[in-house]
Amino acid sequence: MFEILASFLKYVFIIIIYYFIYGIIRLIYLDISTTTHTGRSLSSKDPYLKLINRRESLNFKVEESYFLDSTKTIGRSNKNQIIIKDPFLSSEHAEFVFKNNYWYVFDLGSKNGVYVNNLKVEDIGQSLNDGDTIHLGQLDFIFVDQFDRSDR
Amino acid sequence: MNGSNSIFKPVRMVLLFNFLAFILMYFYGSENSLNVLLLGLAVIFTIGILYHIIKVYDWGDEYLFLIASMLCSIGILMIYRLDPDYGIRQIKWFGLGTAVFFLTFIFLGKTKFWSSKPMIYAYPLISIFLFSVTLIFGQRIGGAKNWIEIFGINVQPWEIIKLLYVFYAGLFFSNRELIYLPTVNLKGKAIKINSIFLFSLISYVHLGFLVLQREWGGAVLLFLIFFSFLYAFDNHRSFLFVNGVFALVGGFVGYLLLDHIQVRIWTWIDPWSDMAGKGYQITQSLFAIGAGGFFGTGIGLGNPEIIPEVHTDFIFSAICEEMGIFGGVAVVLLYFLLVYRGIKISLRIDNIFYKAASFGITAIFGFQTFIIIGGVIKLVPLTGITLPFISYGGSSLISTFLALGALQAVSMKNSFSASKVVEADE
Repeated sequence: MFEILASFLKYVFIIIIYYFIYGIIRLIYLDISTTTHTGRSLSSKDPYLKLINRRESLNFKVEESYFLDSTKTIGRSNKNQIIIKDPFLSSEHAEFVFKNNYWYVFDLGSKNGVYVNNLKVEDIGQSLNDGDTIHLGQLDFIFVDQFDRSDR
Repeated sequence: MNGSNSIFKPVRMVLLFNFLAFILMYFYGSENSLNVLLLGLAVIFTIGILYHIIKVYDWGDEYLFLIASMLCSIGILMIYRLDPDYGIRQIKWFGLGTAVFFLTFIFLGKTKFWSSKPMIYAYPLISIFLFSVTLIFGQRIGGAKNWIEIFGINVQPWEIIKLLYVFYAGLFFSNRELIYLPTVNLKGKAIKINSIFLFSLISYVHLGFLVLQREWGGAVLLFLIFFSFLYAFDNHRSFLFVNGVFALVGGFVGYLLLDHIQVRIWTWIDPWSDMAGKGYQITQSLFAIGAGGFFGTGIGLGNPEIIPEVHTDFIFSAICEEMGIFGGVAVVLLYFLLVYRGIKISLRIDNIFYKAASFGITAIFGFQTFIIIGGVIKLVPLTGITLPFISYGGSSLISTFLALGALQAVSMKNSFSASKVVEADE
């Protein structure tokens, strides 16, 4: 009985231990992964959010810029495309959507709100123009949109 | 995407491993089998509850305890297989260890006593006192005089001293500009001496005591920690180099003068010429590792018990024989992860004391693992030291959990963002 059990369980033990290691590495990876496009050139036609805060003054990981190449949600949870572990952000804080040739920001029911040019974003969302400041959590971003969309 | 919510969470893997391991132990057969199942339930509940407390209350890094409990589970299974009595005792030590982990964490997390300035004198004094007690009242077990008996319990003071040394180093590096060396006369001249010499002096006093005790593994470990501290916290590269040369010369002189070290070196270079005698331990260890193959013989189906000291120093060979090279590599990977987390905690914190303390504790875990695993696979000369969390031994396990508790306390003092990470995983 013991021999059969032991010779069977040796494979099971190995699988369990490696699955455990995989799980730990995966969780660590999720911790450190933030949506980053730092390798991209700034001349791209996509707009981006530029951080104004000094990164050193923040004790969580945040990038200098986040590109908006598609609809993106921002928040603390790993389900977002832009993950920032700012404790003043809600787990799903805001959403950036492109429609009718404009970029809009929507508040996803966040606790501390989203402010564009110091005005709170209401439920209907707020369109964004080049140079607008966006405040969420402890973070201040500038919305940079160099591409002239009216040409299209 | 939501894998962290699945039943395959790492903590459930640890619990499943323990569940299967204790069933296997039950069938391994001995008179107190039922006892083992009850202890197994206790172990599973301890790990599960402590992990959830850490997670729910945001007590810093959640991985440290998980990795440690996985290593301990492997250790308990292996030790029980080698000797059920030792196994039962190891389970009890594990229970005590988690309690120590918990209490250390609470105590160090809530108080600033361990980082207060007067302790800079207390730590080395306590260490030297413990060393002296060991030298005077110590018992010689296995060549090294490193045990003392207190109320019938054998304890190894060195296990605590290495932690005190790390805390001392932390205080030293956080207060080094305040350390004033008043009237130091070197060769008759009053020279302004860099405070790093004081730190080196204290370190070499520790090293001297370890050499007197013939605790070679400890001496190597202490020197490596000292060397890493110099490398990480001091920018005098020439001083680092001088210390390196000093160590090489010291090692060589030791090799010429001491029979003990010559044997270690010769069994490392050529254990095969005296297989039945001095090379017996290391050759049996190599045979055991070789016999395991990829998946091992299976727990309880190999013969690792022919290696002397298999339950403490040579437990890695037993793991390699019965769980295969995959098991051995997994153990090494787990230590990698542990050290990675430790270094990460150390990098993230700003306070120099906590930085140095967590760095030192991580260095203890890492170097101890390297010294003993390197020793049993004949990569470096063998020096007796325990494998953290896995080896049998109360002193070793308790002090390792104490160190882990301190590391956990440092990780909680990290920026609050670290703790919010846990929440976002839900």
